[in-house]
Amino acid sequence: MARMKFLCDAERCIECNGCVTACKQEHEIPWGVNRRRVVTLNDGVPGEKSISVACMHCSDAPCMAVCPVDCFYKTSEGIVLHDKDLCIGCGYCFYACPFGAPQFPQDGAFGLRGKMDKCTFCAGGPETDHSEAEYKKYGRNRLAEGKLPACAEMCSTKALLGGDADVISDIYRNRVMKRGKGSEVWGWGTAYGKPDAKPATPPGAKS
Amino acid sequence: MSRSFLRDRLMPLLGMLVALVFTPASYSADGSRAQEQAQRQQTQPGNNAPMWRDVREGVNQTTQVRGVETNVLMQPSGQSWREVRPPISLAGGLLIAAALLALFAFYQWRGPIGVHEAGTGKLIKRFSDAERLTHWTVAISVCILAVTGLIISFGKYMLLPIIGYTLFSWLAALAKNLHNFVAPVFFFMLPVMIVLFVRDNLPGPGDLKWLLTFGGLFSKSGHETPSGRFNMGEKVLFWFMVCALGVVLCVSGTVMLFPNFDQGRQIMQAANIVHVVGAMVMIFLASFHIYLGTVGARGAYEGMRTGYVDETWAKEHHQLWYDQVKAGKARQHFADDAPDAVRAQVANGLKA
Ligand code: HEM
Ligand code: SF4
Ligand code: SF4
Repeated sequence: MARMKFLCDAERCIECNGCVTACKQEHEIPWGVNRRRVVTLNDGVPGEKSISVACMHCSDAPCMAVCPVDCFYKTSEGIVLHDKDLCIGCGYCFYACPFGAPQFPQDGAFGLRGKMDKCTFCAGGPETDHSEAEYKKYGRNRLAEGKLPACAEMCSTKALLGGDADVISDIYRNRVMKRGKGSEVWGWGTAYGKPDAKPATPPGAKS
Repeated sequence: MSRSFLRDRLMPLLGMLVALVFTPASYSADGSRAQEQAQRQQTQPGNNAPMWRDVREGVNQTTQVRGVETNVLMQPSGQSWREVRPPISLAGGLLIAAALLALFAFYQWRGPIGVHEAGTGKLIKRFSDAERLTHWTVAISVCILAVTGLIISFGKYMLLPIIGYTLFSWLAALAKNLHNFVAPVFFFMLPVMIVLFVRDNLPGPGDLKWLLTFGGLFSKSGHETPSGRFNMGEKVLFWFMVCALGVVLCVSGTVMLFPNFDQGRQIMQAANIVHVVGAMVMIFLASFHIYLGTVGARGAYEGMRTGYVDETWAKEHHQLWYDQVKAGKARQHFADDAPDAVRAQVANGLKA
């Protein structure tokens, strides 16, 4: 089975925020939630770089480790998903995640956190593929349609790559060899530095 | 303690707490590092080392997406928090379990601490209505906070495997909401409790002797070392558990409770660690207090329940205070007007 990963090429990203828009559009993400964002490093200084970031679907995922209700699971393709029916909105995954991926719609008074929302690698959630409930809670399940994540597919400069780790790292290696610079595969050490946690079936009753 | 424990667990924790105290919540992009990066591009195009160093350190950058720390590409402290929290809560859990076991063993060995003479039926009004209302509000809220907090800490390991995902998630959501809404009750009653009880918890005669003899726990006569209205054990509990830990829990809890103040993740991680340590120590100490206030000592529960204690109880447990009451020098007085139902309850509490 392929191991799905994201890779953002800092030498190519032009901070157009197309990926952010594509994601919001594809999944009809609620107000105040952004599953993906673009961060510009040294903005305005010659040599500035931009990077698009969302959930990296870590191997030894910190969010999974700290969740007090254990609502995360890993698909056989290494994608980290969660069950919103179980989530209690404690925010612990947000404390732990290196990439700031978990998001919380505000729920009621005092900024109380609602159920966590994050990038699903366009792979939906524990509900039946393509069901109404799945779309409402997690957005479109493009992987089940045989497509790759919307953000990477839309990327105008192909800076953002998403898909089988072997394939995208080959593309990246070729680029680095041709241009002779920018060999840092940003975030991979943090996200994939440790062996994969065991894939598991979704928690909860309805799987 | 192995070196790797020091390196992997203790150092990140200390680093995190030090960072919390000595630096503002977030770093700003350091102009000089950006400049270094720009110069590096001149001499070595394609070498972005200074920039990646900023990224690893979680420096604030620029983004169009609004939100808390959305301009930080990668935060380094989450990993430390993830590694530090489980061993700390485990240690706390073991401490609490040890306390419960010790109390159970003590109960089996000595049984409840009774009084040596029969009650005289002459009652003293030991606690005012305001004191009792405050005590019970705080006591009940602490019990709810402790149980719901422990569900969040350990439920995943101890309840989830037994009751399953769906039921446990429901329970955890209930625990979280109860915790969040009872916390303010504790928050507002804590100062009231401190003001009401501080006077008789100031150091007084007999405190040192009480402490050195462990309150007379191991004395041959089996009599308690004389004390004022509150003994040294109660005073330690008042200052350390109520005042110090109470405030620590309120402050650290509030930091986590209101994410809408836009505080950064580092502050919330540190608050969480402080909260776990404070909570575990408080539950540990509270279990001794609850033991003595219920099954551990006869007459104590009825004292706080009704506000009245028997003269004999006062003499045996708080002799210096009893002498003052008798001399009319205490703020508490003999209560000849106590209702009959209360008399029965107090008398019953003293019976073996
Ligand atoms: C006697 C008082 C208290 C005890 C014994 C207690 C206990 C606990 C425990 C054991 C946890 C779980 C920590 C973990 O595993 O990470 C926790 C979490 C928490 N506590 Fe407390 N706590 C107390 C008071 C408070 C107060 C006064 C506040 C707020 C003003 C508060 C707010 C929180 C929050 C926000 C959490 C995070 C979990 C969640 O979202 O529910 N606590 N507490
Ligand atoms: S990037 Fe964050 S949310 Fe995604 S798997 Fe890693 S820790 Fe979890
Ligand atoms: S917010 Fe939800 S998903 Fe995140 S750790 Fe808490 S319960 Fe788990």
